[in-house]
Order: sequence, then structure tokens, then C-alpha cells
Amino acid sequence: MRRTSVKLLLVALALSVFLIGCAKKPETEINNAKAALDSAIQEGAEKYAKEEAKLLNDDLTAAQDEIKVQDEKFFKNYDKAKEMLASVQAKADSLKAEIPARKEKAKNDAQAALDAAKTAVADANALLAKAPRGKGTMADIEALKADAAALQDSIVEVETLMTSEEYFAAADKANGIKDKAAEVSAQITAALEKKGKK
Amino acid sequence: MINSAIKTVLLLFLSVLLGCEGAPLPPEVMQAETREHDLWKADAEIYAPEDYKQYKSALRNGKDLLAKEKKRFVWFRDYEPIRTEFRHILLHGSQALQEIETQKQIKSRSVADQIAFFQKRISTIRGLSSLINEGKVSCRSLTKAELLLSELCLLNQRGQYVEAEKKLKSLPHYTARAIEAISPILNRYADATHIRKWRDMVNDTVNLSKERGIHSIVVSKVDKKLILYHKGAPRKTYEIGIGTNGSEDKLYAGDRATPEGKYYITKKMSRSRYYKALLINYPNDDDRRQFTAAKKKGLIPKYAGIGGLIEIHGGGKSGMTYGCIGMENDQMDELFSIVDVGTPVTIVGTVEYDNNISSAIKRL
Repeated sequence: MRRTSVKLLLVALALSVFLIGCAKKPETEINNAKAALDSAIQEGAEKYAKEEAKLLNDDLTAAQDEIKVQDEKFFKNYDKAKEMLASVQAKADSLKAEIPARKEKAKNDAQAALDAAKTAVADANALLAKAPRGKGTMADIEALKADAAALQDSIVEVETLMTSEEYFAAADKANGIKDKAAEVSAQITAALEKKGKK
Repeated sequence: MINSAIKTVLLLFLSVLLGCEGAPLPPEVMQAETREHDLWKADAEIYAPEDYKQYKSALRNGKDLLAKEKKRFVWFRDYEPIRTEFRHILLHGSQALQEIETQKQIKSRSVADQIAFFQKRISTIRGLSSLINEGKVSCRSLTKAELLLSELCLLNQRGQYVEAEKKLKSLPHYTARAIEAISPILNRYADATHIRKWRDMVNDTVNLSKERGIHSIVVSKVDKKLILYHKGAPRKTYEIGIGTNGSEDKLYAGDRATPEGKYYITKKMSRSRYYKALLINYPNDDDRRQFTAAKKKGLIPKYAGIGGLIEIHGGGKSGMTYGCIGMENDQMDELFSIVDVGTPVTIVGTVEYDNNISSAIKRL
């Protein structure tokens, strides 16, 4: 009977040691998840996938909270934390892989907007070249030329934004230029028609 | 016997480890985390930074409490205090969200008001520029201001009020530049001394018409009107066009300004490049003195001449001239048939102290 009790105690002890001993803090997993997230942010996640980056950051914090909970337990079990960290790492890797495509799309959209703006300004300038010159010129042609010059200046500003990879700001500015150039063209056309009727 | 005892111990461990998960977490915990994300999405860091900081700190404390509770053996866990704590956190979050909404509404209204203010201002400056045919000097700045306004409208629509406020700061620079460009021309029309001088010139001309019983012509540049007087009374008013820089006083050849002063018709041309023309004696003695003085001061190009051939001619009133006064052909016919060589022609900026330029300047 005494031998049985000793055996039982040993089994219980062995199991406890097994359970406690196996629960090693997932330091590597934490570092890997952090590194993956940092890498995604460096790639531009906070600019091109702001919300996803924030959610991943929250997930990382949640995983760290889970580790803290387990740290304080007698019977530690980091499986859930490992799972969470693995998920953060996988999602961060996948997000990082997506960023170049998103960046490229933003660049292409901005470039398309810039091209459209350039075309619209060129159209306005072409119309201005047809505008009557010299004495008798419609009173607003000179003003429209100044408008077109300002649009040309602004095209340069968009190009600067493109160079500094500020694609969203570049697209907004380019769209504004395109609209204003169309407005100027419409005014020149109206002025030319008015002149033509005389 | 031994085997069954081992099995019992194993079962006990397994039941402790696997079977006893305890009570589920209060849903408020997850809700508080979601609210934190909502706050972040609502730009709490910008619109309610202190509230957001407090919320995050309260959430952290709540989570620490939760971790502490989780540490207890499942049978002894009590989530009720945690639930209460997280309810408070959620309430704080709701209040912060309301505060953010209020702040955003205030910002949105402020940005919209400023956009409307600058739209009106730009429109006023454009109107003034057009009135004095000086769009070319102001439009470059005004167009840049308008482009900025279109970006601002977009930012306001998207709720990016802080970015909008940053951009708003550059708008006064453009409008100020536009005003600066046209001010020297405009200010003459709001200057009482100048206007008094113009009024005296007009009075002299009208009195001359009355005294001698003759026709005389008065041209008001700001009103773009030519008034024909006979025996001191206005007989007919015609709409006119003036020079590209017509609102300025002519100083030299090629400045495209329309001269101001007392002149008379020197020649009637029934056939002219611009239908019919009435040539006036620009430059007169005053113009010559002004030209010499301006040249001495270096206000005009070194090799510029004083110019000449200023006419009242046909060809239409809506075009810009090199400094002449343009009229519609049918009205030119009428005027041409009435006036003679020697008819006094007085050209002034305005005779009204409250003219449309001085009123518009007040609105700036």
C-alpha cells in the first residue's frame, strides 16, 4: 500500500513537471511576429493598409496579454498565445506581400490622373493658341492665359508629389487641375464662339 | 488496483486541464476592444487625444484585472467585477466617441465656412479684376487658390479636417498676392482726391458745353460709358470698351492704357481699320509733362515713346483695345454724325465716390 502511494505521488509529480516544464515562453514566436509586423510597416502598411496594420498591432498586443496571463499561472500553457502569434506573423507576411501591389495601384492611379490633367491643360493651351490676338481680343482671353499658366505651374507640383511618392495627394491635386482646365477650355470656347459671331 | 489509481489521477488532471474552462468571459471585454478600434478609426488621437489616452489606459487596467482573474483556479473565478469595470470603460468610450463627433462637426463647419469665405473672396477679386481688365495679373494666383479650394472641399467631404485646416493656411497667401497685383489700379478709384480731380475735369467740360452751346463727350472708364452732352445736358449714353490696361492712365506707347485728361477731336475718319474713328489730341501738354516726369523717375521703359493715335472707334465695345475707346458700329455711326472736329472729349476714371470698384474694395 505504501509502495502504491509512493508510485502515485511520483506519477503526479512527473506529470506536473511535464506540464510545467513543457510550457516554455514563446520568445521566438514573439520576435518573429514583431519582426513581421515591423517589416510590413516598413513596406508602407501604415500608408497603404492603415486599418489592417492597426488590427495586426492589436492582435499582437492581445497575444502578449495572453502570454502575460500564462506567465502568472502555475500550469502554463502558451499554445493559444503561440497560435495568436503565428496568426499575426502570417497575416503580417501576407500584408507585406500585398503592399507593393497597392502602392503600384496608387502610383498608377495618380499617374493616370496626372496624365489626364496634362491632357486637359494641353487642350486648354491649344484652344488659347487659337484665341484671337491683338486689338479686339476678347477681354477675358488674357485672364484665361493666366489661368492656364497657373495650371501649368500646378502640374509641376503634382510631379513633385509623384517623385516623393505622395500618390494620394498627387491624384487629388491632378484631378483638381483637370477639372479647372476643363472649365478654362469651356470659357475659351465660349469666348471664341462669341468672337466668331461678331 | 495500481492501474486504476493511476487512471484516476490522470483523469483528475485531464478534467482540470481540459474539462473545467470555467465561466465565459463577459462580452463587455470584446465590446471594449471593438470600441477602442472604433475610437481609433474615428481619429480619436486627433479629436479627443486626452479621452483616448484615458480610454486606452482604462482598457489596459481592465485587461490586467482580467488577467489576474484568469490566473485563479477556474472554480474560483468571478467575472462580475470585471464586467462592471468593462461597462465603465465602454461608457467612457461612448462619451469619447460623442465628443469626437462634436469636435468633427465643429471642424467641418469651420472648414466649410472658410471655404465659402474664400470662394466669395476669390469671386470678388475675379470680378474686380475683370472690371479693370486686369485678370492677367491676378488670375494666376486666383487659379492656384481655386485649385487649393477644390482639394479642401475633397478633404472636408472625406472628414480629413486637420489636413484641410493645414491647407487653408496657404489660401490667404494666394488671395493676398492677387489683391496686391490689382490694388495700385483699384485704389485710384477709391481715392477721394483723385475722384475730385476727375469730377472737376468733367464739370469743366460740361460747363464748356453749356457756355458755348456745343456738344462735348465725357468718358467714364469704370462705368465703361461715353456720355454725349449738348448745351450742358446729357443727350445720349453709349456703352464702350477700353484698353487692355484701360483702367490705368496712359503713360507711354504700348502700355495699352486709356489716357485720362481733357482732349478734343482732331480728326474725323469715315473709313478706319475699326469702321469709323474720331482721333483725339493725345498726348496733350499734361500727358507730355507726366511722361517726362515718369521717365525721369524710371517708371517707364528707357526707350519708350509717349505714343499717340488714341481714337474713339467702331469695331465693338466688348473687345480690348490698345488704349482706344471702342464702340458698336451703329452707335459709332450716330456719334460720328453728331460731333465735329474740336468737340471736347474728357476721359476720367469715374465721377462717383461710391463707384462699383470702391464698393467692391470695401467687400475685400
